[in-house]
Amino acid sequence: MKTDEPISLDPLTRAALLRRAGTGALGLSAASLLAACGSSGSSSSSAAGGSSSAAITGQAILANYPGWMGKHNLAEFAKKYPGASIKMISNATSSTAEVVLQFKSKQYDFLLADTSDAGQASAANLITKLDWSKVPNVKNVAQQFRTAYPWGLPTDYGKVGIAYRPDLVGGATITSWHDLWELIPKYSGQTVFIDLERDCMGSTCKYLGFSSNTTSPDDLKKVQDAIVGVKPHLKAFLNTDVGAGLVNGSTAMAMDWDYDVALLQQKNPKIKWVLPDEGVHAYLEGFTAVQDTSKIAVIQAFLNFLAEPVQYADFVNTTGTAFLMPAATPLVLKSISQNPVLVPTKEVLAKTEFDKYLGGDGATLWSNTWTAIKAA
Amino acid sequence: MVEHVDRDQGGVAIEHPAAPSPRAPGWRRLDSGRWGRLALLAPTLLITTVCFVVPLGLIALYSFGSVNQVDFNVFFGWTTGNYRAFTSNLYLHTLARSVVLSISTTLACAVIGFTFAYFISRQSPKAQRLLLVAVIVPFWTSFIVRTYSWVDLLQNLGPIDRFARALGLHGHIDLLYTQYSIGIGILYSYLPLMILPIYVSLERIDPALFDAAEDLGATPWRQFRRVVLPLAVPGLIAGIIIVGVPALGEYVIPQILGGGKTLMAGNILADQFLQTGNYPFGSALAVSIMVVLMVLLFLLRRAQPAADAQ
Repeated sequence: MKTDEPISLDPLTRAALLRRAGTGALGLSAASLLAACGSSGSSSSSAAGGSSSAAITGQAILANYPGWMGKHNLAEFAKKYPGASIKMISNATSSTAEVVLQFKSKQYDFLLADTSDAGQASAANLITKLDWSKVPNVKNVAQQFRTAYPWGLPTDYGKVGIAYRPDLVGGATITSWHDLWELIPKYSGQTVFIDLERDCMGSTCKYLGFSSNTTSPDDLKKVQDAIVGVKPHLKAFLNTDVGAGLVNGSTAMAMDWDYDVALLQQKNPKIKWVLPDEGVHAYLEGFTAVQDTSKIAVIQAFLNFLAEPVQYADFVNTTGTAFLMPAATPLVLKSISQNPVLVPTKEVLAKTEFDKYLGGDGATLWSNTWTAIKAA
Repeated sequence: MVEHVDRDQGGVAIEHPAAPSPRAPGWRRLDSGRWGRLALLAPTLLITTVCFVVPLGLIALYSFGSVNQVDFNVFFGWTTGNYRAFTSNLYLHTLARSVVLSISTTLACAVIGFTFAYFISRQSPKAQRLLLVAVIVPFWTSFIVRTYSWVDLLQNLGPIDRFARALGLHGHIDLLYTQYSIGIGILYSYLPLMILPIYVSLERIDPALFDAAEDLGATPWRQFRRVVLPLAVPGLIAGIIIVGVPALGEYVIPQILGGGKTLMAGNILADQFLQTGNYPFGSALAVSIMVVLMVLLFLLRRAQPAADAQ
């Protein structure tokens, strides 16, 4: 199977993405699956196609999550392109609108944006399409992800599940969102939810049996009621260090991302990870350039640089995220590349749904519902 | 020219320089110099207009608009829908929560601030200077850093919780991400702003008044109630305004110490601009909060003359 073969991805779901990639490879990780069907020999390409380092100058400003970059990525890039640099400004964004407003603000040259964010920014004509001939290393990224994220360089994906400490919930076993919702009042003040509109409401959609991309007002009203119903018993909505309290026991249960839990389990093995029976919501994100940025040459050079397996492995090893570049697998820490939390099986992929851009009315409905949830 | 002569107790004539008569030519020149006076006023007028009148006008204008929530362009269709949305129970409940929280923390600030200011005012001048520096020192550190430090202090298994456990207190003292943690954060951050104006009022009290009150048989408590308290009221009201007004619109402290779930009106307002991009609704919220504040300030202004009269 050729990875460069275009795959129709409508609707965009992780299951659809990876099930196709993983056909006939039951039990293997997504990365392994993608590696198996990936383009061999692509990992060595590292030149910024057609661009000499001398022509690439200036500083591009990147809006990104705190710490969401390889330890050495920026320094190595500046070393390779002496006249160019990336200034990273950290933002812990909480909503699609927030990211789109950042696209519109012209304060940044490129941003980390998930499929919802980039899709809406694209619909609002707020992005610059990359000249892929200047980013030849993009071929290292599995085609499925490139198709699913056409606005820029896809960098990572993740699932939203449940992390908990059995020893702090009376030895209870959690296997579903229903279990979590039932235990929240019982262990009042010991549960943390993600402070991110799509992930928090998307997971609640799964709890209620809805698509995590629903735009039905009735569905979203039930989602609102379900979250507001347990809100008095929640410890907090957090968008950074969501599960940090699980390590010292100040938090017993958390709606959390897989990469976060994988890192936390290294600090405290008592933390359990659950992919709930009802299904999981997932995201795919990447770096996308802002409309009319004057630093497009620097951005393209950087994205090409980041798509080198060595640099991408640094990114993955630092962030601990699930990765989407098969060629980088040998360079990724085994604690990540062989971690069952990060490496989904076919069964897991079958119940995983990726977020997608919901259109203007859908985005407005989600945004208003989220505001109402936070204000309640 | 000598307009008049005073005689002091020793009978020595003191000559005052003549005050310019309104009819004097020099005064007339000034009086006619309207452009000159306007020129003197111009910087203030310019700053007030550019920094206050225009932004407030824009906010009022935006509050009647609507937004396309795909590209976040604002359209001015002169709708009152944003104000109608604000009157839903959801937002009124949040506003009520903000008012209660800001009033309670302001009162706590007043009680603690008055106590501390009174204590400072009764010390020697050297001790007063030291204590005032101690009040001001926290301002040398970033407000954000100081607020984040409370996260570590208040969290479950944090120093306060561990101290309580060491004392044998059962259960967790888990204050973080509650309304109490927001209250503590506001109290801590705004306390100096309450102490300083009260101290200024107390420091101005003539010590002879205490002697007089004592000579007239007033007990210490009666001295405090009949002399100290009335004379401190102007400083107290100033402190309440300085603390209460920003506390009602506080955004950062609830954001950091509220855990994203105990939102005050300031958070919802900020979210409209920063997270949901609904500038018109955010503007309607801002105007509504301003109206609430103006009513509260009006009530305080009415209380001020009564306090002054005492």
